[in-house]
Amino acid sequence: MPAGVLAVPLAVGDGARSRERARETVSIKQDPARGRMAGQERRIDDTMLIREAQRGSRAAFEELVRHYDQAVLRLALHLTGTEQDAQDVYQDAFLKAYKNIGSFRFECSFYTWIYRIVTNLCLDHLRKRNVRKEDAPVAKDADGGEYDLLDQVPDVRAGANPERDLLRRQLGARIAGALEKLTPRERMVFELKHYHGLKLRTVGEILQTTEETAKNTLFRATQKLRGALADMR
Amino acid sequence: MRPRFALAGRAKAPVTTWSEVELMKCEWVRENIVLQVYGELADDARHELEQHVARCADCAAELKAEQDFHALLAQDRAADPTPNLVAASRMRLQEALETAKQGSVWSRLAFDPAIWLRQVRFSPALASAILIVGFAGGVTTTYKLYGTRPTNTAVVQNPSNPNPVPTEASITGISSIVQQPGTNQISIKYNTVATQEAQGSLNDEKIQQLLLYAARNNYNTGVRVDSVDLLAQKSGDMQVREALMYALQNDTNPGVRLKSLDALGNYVKNDTNVRDAVLRALVNDGNSGVRIEALRLIEPVKADGSVRGVLMALAAKDTSQYIKSQARTMLAQLPEID
Repeated sequence: MPAGVLAVPLAVGDGARSRERARETVSIKQDPARGRMAGQERRIDDTMLIREAQRGSRAAFEELVRHYDQAVLRLALHLTGTEQDAQDVYQDAFLKAYKNIGSFRFECSFYTWIYRIVTNLCLDHLRKRNVRKEDAPVAKDADGGEYDLLDQVPDVRAGANPERDLLRRQLGARIAGALEKLTPRERMVFELKHYHGLKLRTVGEILQTTEETAKNTLFRATQKLRGALADMR
Repeated sequence: MRPRFALAGRAKAPVTTWSEVELMKCEWVRENIVLQVYGELADDARHELEQHVARCADCAAELKAEQDFHALLAQDRAADPTPNLVAASRMRLQEALETAKQGSVWSRLAFDPAIWLRQVRFSPALASAILIVGFAGGVTTTYKLYGTRPTNTAVVQNPSNPNPVPTEASITGISSIVQQPGTNQISIKYNTVATQEAQGSLNDEKIQQLLLYAARNNYNTGVRVDSVDLLAQKSGDMQVREALMYALQNDTNPGVRLKSLDALGNYVKNDTNVRDAVLRALVNDGNSGVRIEALRLIEPVKADGSVRGVLMALAAKDTSQYIKSQARTMLAQLPEID
């Protein structure tokens, strides 16, 4: 949608939600203090949208989806590793949210609630994959080492630096391999903290556990990763 | 052993020697270094950790190793989803939402035992209330089965609602249950899903109200298209025009938005609210067909200041090459402003 591209200050009309949002986007980029205020406005906006969605407005729900779906897709994409699986998680998460929006009681933020749904789906996905992996055929090279077929696909984007790109992909593959060795819960805590920058308190809320447990899990995850990637430092 | 985070290491069993204290501190520091690297330590704990690291070479080396490892991992970023993936996911979700239904209050409460159990577990008062209500219900039922035959209960119908009492299947929810103090009379307000039919001309106020309702609220795209189509014939009415503008800006279906746009076309010149709505569609609509139609409609008012601003933005940044070039052509036809 071109809204993000064209955040032009329209000198027309009054009270248009889309224009307010465009203004909000600009203000977040320009000034952190105003960004915080815009964040508060956004929460109020979300509350109104949730209430409308609870009254049955699909348009309001779709607007809510647009507030969160890129973050959800990013999380699902990195955790599942494929666009198809990420799309499935996205679809299931928002459908579940839509069907259960009536039971949302504002006891936590919508952000926490939708992340809780997504992380539960991703955890299920990771657990199933761990089971499937035991039976899955593994691609092996001439020396008998396992490799990811996707790593063999060259990056043909214009301006790509082949050498740097190769190193980047090798590093990515090693880290991905190390992440696969974590338990689903450790992986989730590490993912939310490291790749998505969430506070451990929020991670605890999302995973319905305490901050202390989230800290323990992050500690274990980083210890395992450091062990697995010791030769890379 | 579970790590002791933050300041937990200080409140342990009595320690006698300085070396033991330092050893415990080292252990505590190593358990908390990862939190330090991720900015999760409280201010006092961070200060304590920094103080210790300044005088302990081993812990300083451990902190450095953790920081290096963090930097190594930071080179691998989670990729953002491509615009194509976002768009495809949204479209797929929209299609699924067309047929999805929100869970009703009844189904949530009646058919999700987990919710009931959770409520009971966390709310002793609620659990007691449920027990009392169940007991009272049982007693009342027994009384009704074996007690006096002529019952005192009577269905009080709203005089303005001549519908008969609906069957259980047509009840969508109970909005209130009130017992008259000191009596056994209970008043229940419930909603039904009984289908009703209204007939009349387009000038009929009730028909117009139903059409306006359908244009804003109906889940069925076909119904919304039909209602907008009919409302277009009455677009002289301000209320109708507002409904059309609402559909133009909020409807999820491009067909409905396009029909609303066409119905509003005649008012772009004289009604500034309509003009603003069309401009917003021109800037924000995700469908290039709708945006192209909006661009065509604002052609007669392209000299307007607000329209000019939008055209300049479109000419510079629009994702559609056609819209970009059309906007440039329209701008070129305008006189220069000094």
